[in-house]
Amino acid sequence: MTTAVKAGAASTSDTPGPILRVESLTTSFRSGGAWHPAVRDVSFDLARHETLALVGESGCGKSMTALSIMGLVPKPAGRIAGGHIWFEGEDLTQLDDEAMRRIRGDRISMIFQEPMTSLNPVLTVGFQVAEALFYHRGMSGREADRMALDLLEQVKIPSARRRFADYPHQFSGGMRQRVMIAIALACRPQVLLADEPTTALDVTIQAEVLALLAELKTAYGMSMVFITHNLGVVAAIADRVAVMYAGEIVEIATVRELFRRPTHPYTELLMRSIPRVDRNIAELETIQGQVPSISAMPPGCRFAPRCPLREPRCEAAPPPLAGRSGHHVRCVVRAGA
Amino acid sequence: MAEILLAVERLKKFFTQKRGFPNPETVTVRALDEISFTVNRGEAFGLVGESGCGKSTAGRCVLRLIEPDSGGVTYAGEDVLEAGKERLRLLRRKMQIVFQDPYASLNPRRMIGKALAEPMQVHGLGDSAEIDARVEALLAEVGLPPDARWRFPHEFSGGQRQRIGIARALTVSPELVVADEPVSALDVSIQSQILLLLRGLQDKHGLSYIFISHDLGVVRWFCQSIAVMYLGRIVETGPVPAIFDDPLHPYTRMLRESSPVPDPEVRVAPARIAGEVPSAVNPPAGCHFHTRCPHVMDKCRQAYPEWRMVGQGRGVACHLHGA
Repeated sequence: MTTAVKAGAASTSDTPGPILRVESLTTSFRSGGAWHPAVRDVSFDLARHETLALVGESGCGKSMTALSIMGLVPKPAGRIAGGHIWFEGEDLTQLDDEAMRRIRGDRISMIFQEPMTSLNPVLTVGFQVAEALFYHRGMSGREADRMALDLLEQVKIPSARRRFADYPHQFSGGMRQRVMIAIALACRPQVLLADEPTTALDVTIQAEVLALLAELKTAYGMSMVFITHNLGVVAAIADRVAVMYAGEIVEIATVRELFRRPTHPYTELLMRSIPRVDRNIAELETIQGQVPSISAMPPGCRFAPRCPLREPRCEAAPPPLAGRSGHHVRCVVRAGA
Repeated sequence: MAEILLAVERLKKFFTQKRGFPNPETVTVRALDEISFTVNRGEAFGLVGESGCGKSTAGRCVLRLIEPDSGGVTYAGEDVLEAGKERLRLLRRKMQIVFQDPYASLNPRRMIGKALAEPMQVHGLGDSAEIDARVEALLAEVGLPPDARWRFPHEFSGGQRQRIGIARALTVSPELVVADEPVSALDVSIQSQILLLLRGLQDKHGLSYIFISHDLGVVRWFCQSIAVMYLGRIVETGPVPAIFDDPLHPYTRMLRESSPVPDPEVRVAPARIAGEVPSAVNPPAGCHFHTRCPHVMDKCRQAYPEWRMVGQGRGVACHLHGA
């Protein structure tokens, strides 16, 4: 990794402050004639060189948060209904499509769970990596190809030179995900959004891809938002964690703090409901019931209907996200404790 | 002494496929290459391994949903593979299967009540009033509301559909349930609900399970003994505590070490030797695992290691533990 690391090094990486600031983001979807927030009042900072994990179950809004940052909220069913996304002094929510297209895949990149559906089956992997470089960097074909090969070597595709002209179907799932990573990194993004990038992979391959991502993050000086439902993966890769439930962040803390002192009842129950490979657990906790539907959210705390610590005041009004020294919890019962 | 409910002996299944474009060639996938294991009555037996290792094929061959090429399956003393049509129908009352995605196995235009009644009608278990009462009892048993019988599959969430899948397997009061990745598609909080339901049924009815999974954490919690598969072969078997505390086969160890642990103080170590999972079409010569094994020796490249019992019901196929 020589040419790629030097080329286009982020010039702004020494300015202070977070690289990305999401402020009161609300992303809504239309259903039955009314707009319902799938992401509600989500705020977080992503520090430079930091990995922030967004963790939660299906439908909690974690992927939609990432798609909002990328400007890829499906229209016209969905829209960003409020809030700001600050990136290098610009509010991404205010940019037009053309301006957003210039940032996407260049300064902010995203990788997805299923690499086969995001790769074009009729183009060679080499071309798909080089494509971002023609488009965003205006490189010549030969230059882009040379750099693409370099990238495929950096993501550790065995005999990359021989496989440069292969098509996606000739790669295994883990190798396709490496190709996706190479495409995402082609323009040396400052922020990488990784949406369940290892969920479809076998555990041994998952461990390799996680190690690769951590290594490249350091080499490229990137910041990463890592979306997952797997608390084991969170523990392995994150610096900080935001736990999401029903469209809201219910708890945010450093990874050590969160696992040591899970404070929101949802976080705590979630941690006690995972069977562990490293120890015997006598009792497995469950969370009764299921996540409320987007069009029938409870008026107070959204977790209240399933919460063992529920009190009358929980159902009266939505609790604020409150706390100190970086550990914030959206729970009126636990916040006072 | 535990009673052996199911004995599988040298079970083999190869598939032939046409692959490649534009010049297709016929290849042989060695899905099951002579695997043997036994399941005790009342026990949850885990079959673990990564995608393509043959674990699902093994589950289906036991039930003859796929006809194996050779080998033996004995259920409570009766030869399953030799059974005629009528005997097989009776055996299938004893052995049922639960799939990963029950939605794919439910008729979208049939109400849940009918889907549950059908197996009982097929097997002639009672008149319509009895079947009706049983449907109601089953819904209650798996934790679904009574009005679920009048609803269609699309009206249910993933966890509820899995409850329907379990209820349908229970309609004929089986003794052995093959559960093929039953919680893999579910969210964590729902996963634990379903695991507790399956565990409850095991305690209440003395059910035995063949529990097929890629998640070692889930298997550690749910199963009493396990077999670890790699490219169509079992590489290690034994009781759960022993296998997890002291895995003998380097592949078992690699699986355990790469499984993420929800504790930031215990960061998972990536496999020391990276490598693709080879294909079951053309498994490596000698020990199939030698291409990824950190302890590979010369003889590993030449001969597949013999199966050795190493005490306390443990067996392993690895030259490190050979004679």
